[in-house]
Order: sequence, then C-alpha cells, then structure tokens
Amino acid sequence: MTSILELTLPLELENLEVVYHHVATAIQGVSLKVQPSSIVTLLGTNGAGKTTTLRAISGFLGADNAQIVGGRVLFNGRPVTGRRPHELVRRGLVLVPERDKVFETLTVQENLRALVPGWLAWRAGDRPRVRLDQVFEYFPLLADRRRQLAGYLSGGERQMLALATALLCRPAVLLVDELSLGLAPAVIERLMILVARLRDELGLAVLLVEQNAGAALAVADYGYVMEHGRIVYDGPRDRLLAHADVREFYLGVGHRAGRKSYTDVKQYRRRRRWF
Amino acid sequence: MARGGGYFKTTYAADLALVDTRLRRRALAAFVVALLVLPRVASPFILDLVAQTALAAIGALALNLLTGLAGQVSLGHAGFIAAGAFTTGVLIENGVRSPLVALPAAAVVGAVLGIVVGIPALRLKGLYLALGTLALHHVVLYACAEFQNHWGANTGVSIPPPAIGPWVLKGAVAWYYTLTLAAALVLALSVNLRRSRAGRAWMAIRDREIAAESVGIDVARYKVLAFVWSSAITAVAGGLFAYHRAFVSVEAFGFFLAVEYIAMIIIGGLGSALGAVLGAAFVTLLPHGLDALVAGLRLSGGAAYYLFPLKFGAFGLLMAVFLLFEPQGLVGIWRRVRNWFALWPLRYRPLRSAS
Amino acid sequence: MTQVLATTVVVASLYALLAAGYVLVYRATRVLNLAQGDMMTLGGYFLFLVATSVPGQPVRAIAGAAALSALSGFLIYRLLMRPMAGHPIFAAVLVTVTLGILLRAAIVLVYTDRIRHPLGLLGLANPARPLIGGAVVSTFDLFTVGAAAALFAALFLFLRFSPLGIQMRAAGEKPLLASQRGINFHLVFALSWALAGFAGALAGSLYASNVRLDPSLGVLGLKAFAVALVGGLDSLGGVIPGALIVALVEVLSVRYGDPLLADVSPFLCLLAMLLVRPWGLFGTKEELERV
Repeated sequence: MTSILELTLPLELENLEVVYHHVATAIQGVSLKVQPSSIVTLLGTNGAGKTTTLRAISGFLGADNAQIVGGRVLFNGRPVTGRRPHELVRRGLVLVPERDKVFETLTVQENLRALVPGWLAWRAGDRPRVRLDQVFEYFPLLADRRRQLAGYLSGGERQMLALATALLCRPAVLLVDELSLGLAPAVIERLMILVARLRDELGLAVLLVEQNAGAALAVADYGYVMEHGRIVYDGPRDRLLAHADVREFYLGVGHRAGRKSYTDVKQYRRRRRWF
Repeated sequence: MARGGGYFKTTYAADLALVDTRLRRRALAAFVVALLVLPRVASPFILDLVAQTALAAIGALALNLLTGLAGQVSLGHAGFIAAGAFTTGVLIENGVRSPLVALPAAAVVGAVLGIVVGIPALRLKGLYLALGTLALHHVVLYACAEFQNHWGANTGVSIPPPAIGPWVLKGAVAWYYTLTLAAALVLALSVNLRRSRAGRAWMAIRDREIAAESVGIDVARYKVLAFVWSSAITAVAGGLFAYHRAFVSVEAFGFFLAVEYIAMIIIGGLGSALGAVLGAAFVTLLPHGLDALVAGLRLSGGAAYYLFPLKFGAFGLLMAVFLLFEPQGLVGIWRRVRNWFALWPLRYRPLRSAS
Repeated sequence: MTQVLATTVVVASLYALLAAGYVLVYRATRVLNLAQGDMMTLGGYFLFLVATSVPGQPVRAIAGAAALSALSGFLIYRLLMRPMAGHPIFAAVLVTVTLGILLRAAIVLVYTDRIRHPLGLLGLANPARPLIGGAVVSTFDLFTVGAAAALFAALFLFLRFSPLGIQMRAAGEKPLLASQRGINFHLVFALSWALAGFAGALAGSLYASNVRLDPSLGVLGLKAFAVALVGGLDSLGGVIPGALIVALVEVLSVRYGDPLLADVSPFLCLLAMLLVRPWGLFGTKEELERV
C-alpha cells in the first residue's frame, strides 16, 4: 500500500539533463523527489544549475535556446516534460519566479483578480479551491494595499503578492525561486514561516530553490545540494545541518584550515568523477 | 609572403588588409574584370539594370551605416533621397547645372538634414525613432511638394544630363561606368568606416548603448555622426538619381521607397556591406525578374492588369519570408554555403534532443 | 467656428477608432502595427463584400464586416506575428509593413483599384444634418462619433473590470509572468489583434459609407499613428485628446493653409510631441526605454 503512495509523488525528476545552445550542458543527471505536504529545498551557489532545473520543470527553457536532452519530469506520476508553461500552471505546477514576479502596472487587487478562480476551474480537478479572503488571511498586508499599484510595493510585499497570486492558481506543487533574494533577514524569516504555514495548512508540496541555505533549512523537511549541474548531496534537514561541508560552505559555520572553496574538498571531487 | 587562411594572421598588415586571402583577392579581381568587360557583351538594358542596382546599392550602403552598424532605425530614408534629388533640381532651376556643384551641395544638404534629425533623435530609441524619422520623411516630402508647386510644374521637373565642360554624361554605357564607380567608392568608404574608430563606436552603441557609454564612447556625438554620414551619402545618391532619371517628382519618393531600402538591407543581411549590395541587387531586379517570368508564361490579355499588384504582393511576401525565416538575409545564406564547403566533409551536428 | 469644431470632432472620431487599434496591439504585444490603416481598408472591403451578398441590410453588413475583420486580425497574429516572438521588435514592425503591402496587393487583385461606394448597396442614404450653431455634418459623421464613443466606453470597461481585460493588460506587461500564472498569452495577444481588426473594420465601414472606398485608404492609418503617439502609445485614454489635437490642427490648416500642409500636419504634431514629450500626453515615460 505504501509503495503505491510512493509512486505518485507530487513531483519527481528522473536523471534530467539540460543543454544550452546545443553544446553547453547545464545540468546532468539531476534526480529529486518532492513528497506531498513537504518543503524540499534545492541549495547551491550561483551557476550551480538551480534555476535551470526550475525552468526545466516549469517548461521555460525554449526562450533561452535550451533543451531537455534526457530524463523526465513526473508530476503526480505523469510525465509532463516539455509541456507549455500555462498548461502546467493549470494542472497545478506553479512557479514563483526570481525576478519580474508581479504585474507592476496593475493594482494589487487586479494582480490577484487576473487569476480569477473560475477561469482556471475547468482543469483544477479536485484541488482545493483557494478563495481571495483566504489569501488575505495569509497576507493581511495585501488587503490594506489592494488599491495600490503593484509597482509601488516594496521587495517583501512584492514577494508576498507573488506568493498570493501563485496560491490563487491552486497549486499542487509550488516552485519557489530565490525567495530570499534581496530581502532583509527579518523579512526572509517571516516569508519562510508563511511558506511553512502553506505546507501545513493547505498541504502544499514546495520546492524551494535557495542560495540562502540557513533560511531554507530552517523550514525545509529535506534538502538537495547542487554543484556544477549535479546533485552532490542530499538528505533530511537534520543530516544536512550536521554535515561538515554544508556547514562550512553553505551555512558559514565551522572552519577547516586551507580550504577556500568546496572544490578543494576531496569528497566532492570524488563524487564528480563518479558521475 | 605568408599565405594566410584568413583565420590566423601573423602581421599587422594582414590584419589591416581589406581583402585578406588570395582566393578573395582573385575573386575580387575577377569581379572587377567582369564589370569592366560587361559593356562589351551586354545589351543596354542589362547595363541599365546594373546601373540601377549600383544606384540603389549606394542608398542601401548608406542606410546600412545608420541601421546596420549604428543600430538607429530609420523609416525616413526616402526623405533623404528626396532631399538630395530636390537640391539638384532646385539648383538646376536656378541655373546651376554643373554636377560638380550640385552633388556636393546635395551632400551638404544631406549632412545638415542629418544633424537636424540626429540631434532630436538622441532622445528617441527603437520604435519611437522609427516613427520620428517616418514623420520627418513626410515633412521633407511636404517641403519638396511646395517647391514643386512653386515651380508651377505639378508633375515634376526635368533635369538635363550632367555636363562637366564639354563632356556630357549620356547613354547607358557612360551611366553604367559612372554609377558602378560611385557605388564602388561608397562600398570602399563604408567598409573602411566600419573599421574606423567611428565604426567600432557605432557597433558598440548598437549592441548596448549603456555599455558603450561606460567605456568612454561619446554616444551623442557618434549617433549624430552616423546620421550625418548616412544622410550625406544618401543625398548624393538622390542627386545621382535625379540626373539618372532626368526627372524629379515628389511621387517617386513615397513611403514605399523607404520600405524598399529597408527591405534591401534586411533581405541582404543587416550590418553587412556585402549584404546591402546583394539586397540592392535583389530588390532592384525582382520586378524585372517577375516581368520576365510573366512574359515567359504568355498569359492572356487580362493578366497584364494583375501584374502590378502581383509584383507588389510578391515583394511584400519575399520581405516577410526573409524576416520570418532568414533574419540574416542573403549574406546569412552565403555564409552557410561557404561554411559548408569550408567544413566539408565534417558537419556541425547538434546534440540529440529528447523528443 | 462651430463648423470647425464639428468637423474636428468628426475627424477626431475617425482617428480615434484607428488609433485604438494601434494602442490595443501595442499594449499587448509592444509591436506598432503599421498595417492598421490597411486593416481598416480591409474592413471597408469586407463591408463591400457582405453588402454585395446581402444588399439592403446595413446592420448585418456592418456586423459581418466587423466579424470578418476580427477573424482576420486573429489569423494575422497566428500566422505572421506569433512566429516573430523572440525576434527584435523592429523586425516585427517590418512584418506589419509587409502585411500592409500584402493586404493592399490582395485587395487590388480581387477588387481592382476602382473607387467604390458601398452606401448604395446598404440601401441607406447619407443626408446632411444641420446642428445647433449652424454647423452641418453628414449622418454617417454622426454615426462615426457615436461608434468611437461606444467603442472607447466598451474598451475602458473591458480593460478595467473584466477578467479577460485584466489578463490582457497583465500579459502586455509581462508575458512570461502571465504564462507562469496560467494565462495563455498567445491567445490574449491574438485577441488584441482581433479587437484591433474590429476597430479597424468600424473605421473602414464608416469611412467607406461616408466618403468612398479605394485601396489606398491605408494612408489614413499613417495619420492615425500620429494620434496614437501624441496621446501616448500605451495609453488608450490618451487617444481621445490626441485625436482631438491632431484633428483640430488638420482642420485649421485646411481652413487657413493649403491641402498639402493639412496632409502633413499630423506629422508635424507628431514631431513636436517627440521633441517636447516623446512618451506622449498620457503615456508612461518608461515606455521609451522598453523598445
């Protein structure tokens, strides 16, 4: 019985491989699993391939002349590799992008109304309906500013609006790209707690792509570490938090003399040769 | 003497050379010889076609400087041509008949007009610039139309053949040599401009204006300079056009002419001098080619009526096809063919896709 | 004096109908549709086509022409403009120029370049109507003003309050984000082209009934883009003052200048606007940087 449940994960990547401009391999053999009602974080530095992974999942590679050349993306057990972005959204695979995340010339209210629940209902299936007042309950700040143009919102407020509009798309899986980017630590903490509430109260599965490992691991259930386009380490939150290399290179605690970068660490070199 | 392959250069001289490999030198020499010999073998009609192509190539090369190199879109090219043609016409109406005066005067008028357009154009970019130049085209045409009315000649003004002293430029062969030579000079000028400080500055501005500014390029100055060069050359082309047609009239310089010139540099390949020449040849010869095709088909009487819209439509269709499927233009096709031969038997093969 | 005002309002209404097409397409796709004038001509010929098959039924004829034009706007986006996604905007603008050439060639091929008057086929007359103050306009002049007012009111309500209208604005601002929110932006863009075709058909039908129909009506479209720019390319509300200004200048230069000057006056307005305030009366300044 449990094995059947395991088969229909909300989101699963199998050996995904993406190539830019026909020649440059960006990610190679990336496999990861997102369990229902959990937050999974994908950690890595700049250029590790996190954003490429997200784009591969959400169907946005075409614009950059990139291609999925191997592997597949399974959403609720069904392969969705290469589907068009808006179709994926209507099936419940919703992305909160890194930049350009709100419509600046529209008011907050219009930003939310552009995604009228009724409009998306026809493919929503049995996913729970998200109402506007529910959204305002999570993000009370937005209710106060509903008549303002979204272009006048601050960074944190924009991120909230982006999460709110994503919620109105009735996600089954929420993909979040760099939630913490350019925000103050206190704001990041509040947002992370909000994401955790969404997981607990709406049963969302969240894939949280982050550079800020500390903030992400504070709420995540499971984590993957990505370097040079490959997953080099993964494990439950506590194991990652205890891992010496993760502590040193991603959390900035602990120090081993003479090692400037993760590439100097033997274990990583060996792993790279193995793949 | 090193025999360069064109890729690895061992001396500064080789780097500076316009024609860098032996094959290219030979091809160029063969082309020049062919152009010189052509009048002996070809009919006056063919010579006239080549002369028209050369004339169009001058205008296209000038537009290519502005749009292809400096990235400043202009829909007002026909206005500059009209300005040159009407400068010549006005001078002739006032008794100045020598082309040695008229053509430089056209160049000066063009340059001044270039400054007049170029300075306000500094505030505008892309689409807005295109609209501004288009509006300017209409204003120039309006001025020309007022001139034309002023002469009392509503249909236009005829221009006598240009004469320098006793020597009169007349006949297909003389025009052929003159216009081909002029086109060759403009070609050499534009290729050299591209390699100059100004040319490099233009390309930097085209690719990213802010980056160009941050490496110390005076963006305003070079943008205006691009307008001045382009419009001066274009106005000279307009003067030559007036002499060659022996007639000046506003009707010849409509919006469609501007579109034709843009089509030349798009179909030829934006930013390339060779492309401008190829595009000029293509656009000039296309209507004649269609004429020949229809004549060959020997359609019945009514067909002649449909010829004009068909030509018009074929022109639009070809331009659309190039924009949609071959944005690099004829030069892009030429480069692919060349690379195919250069790489043969190997071929660049992209990685296998998932589907 | 009242005649000048009346004529200005009538001319402005026609320009506003045309400029609405520019602004709709521009706001959605950031492409300036230089073929809008020829789409208007196409609308006029659709009217002629429908009126020939069902003579004497003006309402059906105009509705049919509008529907056909909207459909052709949709198809134009699907066949010509959508493949241009990802190309430079200027290339897309040039495609609209070629579209104008193709439309004009097609019209001449089918209908020749004879001047037509579809009014007779509609079974309507176009009597002059005196207004208060001594001004005289034709009946279809009044229809034009009414159509422009109705279209703008409808567009305002649609874009401000309807979900689809909001989606259209959203997709116009950030197509990528729109598709991340489940909006099929290609469909929305095609819809804006269809609306532009519809507005063009209204202008074309009314002008064809009021004045005449010939393949070179598209020139009017070039004047109307001056209107769109004076008002601000991305502002639908700006079209109305823009149209009034351009029409007033044109009417005055017909009266006090000569017809040549009148023809060029919209472009003089445009140039003046570009010098003083390039983003237009009601446009946003950031728009200048986007293209």
